[in-house]
Amino acid sequence: MAGLGSDRLRLLFVQEADVRLTELGRLLLELEQRADDLELVRSVYRELHTLKGSAAVAGLEDVSQIAHGLEELVDDVRAGSRPVTPEMIDTLLRGADRLRGAVTATPAAQEPPTSKRAQVRPRPQGGSGATLGTLLEPSPEPPVVRGVPPAAATSPRPDGGSGLILVPVERLEELTRLVGETTSAHLRIGRMLKDRFDVDPGTCNEFNELARSLNNLHDSTMRTQMVPVSTVTDQLHRAVRDLSRAQGKDVRWETAGTDTELDRGVLHRLSDSLMHLVRNAIDHGIETPDERRRAGKPEQATVRLHAMQLGSEVIITVTDDGRGIDGGAVEHEARRLGIETDGLSDDERAALTFHPGFSTARFVTDVSGRGVGLDVVRTHVEGAHGRVDVRSEPGTGTEFRLIVPITVAVLRCLLVEAGGQSFALPFHRVLLTQAHNPDNVTYAEGRPVVWVDRHPLPVHQLGDVVGLGETVSDGPVVGLTDGSQRHAFAVDRLVGQRDVVIKALSPLVPRLPAVAGASVEADGSILLVLDPPGLIQRARHSPRPDRPGGRDERPGAPGRSILVVDDALIVRELQRGILERVGFHVRVAGDGQQAIAQLAQEPTDLVVTDIEMPKMDGFALTEAIRSHPALANIPVLIVSSRSSDADRQRGLDAGADGYIVKSAFDESSLLTAVNRLLGTGS
Amino acid sequence: MSAQQALLLPVGSDLYALPLDWAREVVAAPAATTLVTAPASVLGLFNLRGQIVPLFDTAALLGTGTIDAPAFAVVVDSAVGLAGLATSGLPQRESLGESTGPSDLPGTTGRYSIGQQVATLLDPVALLSPHRISGHDYHGLAGNGSS
Repeated sequence: MAGLGSDRLRLLFVQEADVRLTELGRLLLELEQRADDLELVRSVYRELHTLKGSAAVAGLEDVSQIAHGLEELVDDVRAGSRPVTPEMIDTLLRGADRLRGAVTATPAAQEPPTSKRAQVRPRPQGGSGATLGTLLEPSPEPPVVRGVPPAAATSPRPDGGSGLILVPVERLEELTRLVGETTSAHLRIGRMLKDRFDVDPGTCNEFNELARSLNNLHDSTMRTQMVPVSTVTDQLHRAVRDLSRAQGKDVRWETAGTDTELDRGVLHRLSDSLMHLVRNAIDHGIETPDERRRAGKPEQATVRLHAMQLGSEVIITVTDDGRGIDGGAVEHEARRLGIETDGLSDDERAALTFHPGFSTARFVTDVSGRGVGLDVVRTHVEGAHGRVDVRSEPGTGTEFRLIVPITVAVLRCLLVEAGGQSFALPFHRVLLTQAHNPDNVTYAEGRPVVWVDRHPLPVHQLGDVVGLGETVSDGPVVGLTDGSQRHAFAVDRLVGQRDVVIKALSPLVPRLPAVAGASVEADGSILLVLDPPGLIQRARHSPRPDRPGGRDERPGAPGRSILVVDDALIVRELQRGILERVGFHVRVAGDGQQAIAQLAQEPTDLVVTDIEMPKMDGFALTEAIRSHPALANIPVLIVSSRSSDADRQRGLDAGADGYIVKSAFDESSLLTAVNRLLGTGS
Repeated sequence: MSAQQALLLPVGSDLYALPLDWAREVVAAPAATTLVTAPASVLGLFNLRGQIVPLFDTAALLGTGTIDAPAFAVVVDSAVGLAGLATSGLPQRESLGESTGPSDLPGTTGRYSIGQQVATLLDPVALLSPHRISGHDYHGLAGNGSS
């Protein structure tokens, strides 16, 4: 090890320990299923022994001693003096958590090194090794309550001599970027050959050979970022085990197809959602053994994850054989949220559970049922350009299906032109394309609609919706869906369909809901990839168009006044800007008392208020408005970061007419709520 | 003490100075694709050897108007990625002269003499802050830390 400084040594240890601890966790879960497998016991022992030795070499005595204590326990098992019991596995898993905590607390694992978090865990007291009691101390961050992203997704198992090496992800991303630059330079050379030397690059063997090599290089580079689904299943297995034990349930974890590979970025986006679905299944889906016996089911329940590739997509299903989604609870919750359920199929009713704020949990627990969850799952899956659906049968079980592209880097797209600019539309969001037919267009609620499969779809000019000026196109119509809504867009022309290498926009650019990313074209130009859900939202909140016999309407009603109450200047001004742009007259107040004072001078048509403010909070302000005869009829909209059902209920009890959670807040949701309360616009 | 080196950016009739260590390169007549639905300060996206770089209207960021046809883009290496600052004339390297006092515009830190001209020194971090880029054309409140 000569030549390696202590910092470098510890950094290497942290990288090695990350891999070994992942493997240790996997082995322990396997050992619980096969307690008599001596080879497994020996493997666990080897991992701990190696960790102990490596930690000592790196000068991390604390880590070494924890590993030593665990090693002694496993040595007893190896010698036959202790049996492998669930309690023993509990002890070892918690010990492994403590080990990981101690490793991640080393300065080498921290960034920046001077961070306050870079504290080495205190040395265990009481002798040379950690005692059983020490090992049973709770881990600072129990892994069961959090989704663990596949940070070590590229980490191979430490099966020595396998020829695998650890490579920082940044290097792979840099490699991908360089390949992109090289490809772009190649295309520029082709154009130069044509423009300056009048040579058709297609007739140049060297140029074509380089193109083939670059294509292969591109494919190989993309493959370096692919990881198997199994990189996240160990954490899920651990969650199933710990949660089911904590809740007295007997659950078997099954997986299939976990060698299916997909882009690391996609899997990273899904890992939290998968964890949520698995925890949800144990917490709400799976019954206790007694309940299952009474229902005529085997006492042991099953939660199953199955992954498979289908074309350019990967389908991951999470299935349980529990009680299924409670249809009555769904109906009740839908009524509470004002969602119409008449005419919905069973699957459509089950899909309501993805609605923001929807919770069918009877009791609020620290596991799930907080009204935030499945909508977040849908958001994350859609963030990976995927979709999620659910099927459930009462008494039989529930299946969630997550369908995502193998890589977000390459998307099959429909290319269109609108407003004089080319755009790509992700193909999995395209319902249909059809030629323009004036006889097929009519009006509903002030908006043009086209008939598609005997259903009227609202239709907008794509160029108008994205702000390229008012356009009138008699070009074809493209039907898009965001999973729950369908909308049609008229474009100038259809260009074709092909795979598009999509890149995220710079973090410097504000989030643009209607834009998914961009791609560099063969000619060096840039193609924008639009995001259909954002596009549909934007279209739905755009002004209604003029039409013969119609009247001019705007989403906001000029002259209507709104009082915005928030102690945060930036929030007040942002809300003011949004509302003024659509024609409202806006006043602002910094707290409830100021608001009351302003209302005493001049009433308003609507109050939009935060909850937590000095002097008088939003609840008190709402109650004060309701109790004042001259103000009692003013609608109140609460916009708060508090998302609990209790806060919503308290707001409604105080007399609020609407409640928006800031985490789910955007311009359109504010305008929708305001227009609904004032009876203006759309 | 040696004078501060800067790249002088002509923006309309004004002259702005970018600390030299922020400038990565200058691109002539960048062909930007309109980034639809973006705030007015974003002129578009351009291709810098395979990288997609946002091009910002320097005048709009400063709140002094707009640049209709960017003649050049100065590529700035910010902490979160590359950004292009549009100029209406050829940027040139110069040493900043004496400070002539504080500046008024947001995203700037003071005025300096350059011969008979005055250059306003840019603060790229403030100039490229989300608030300046978005203006009031804000798309979400999540994460602002307020209740």
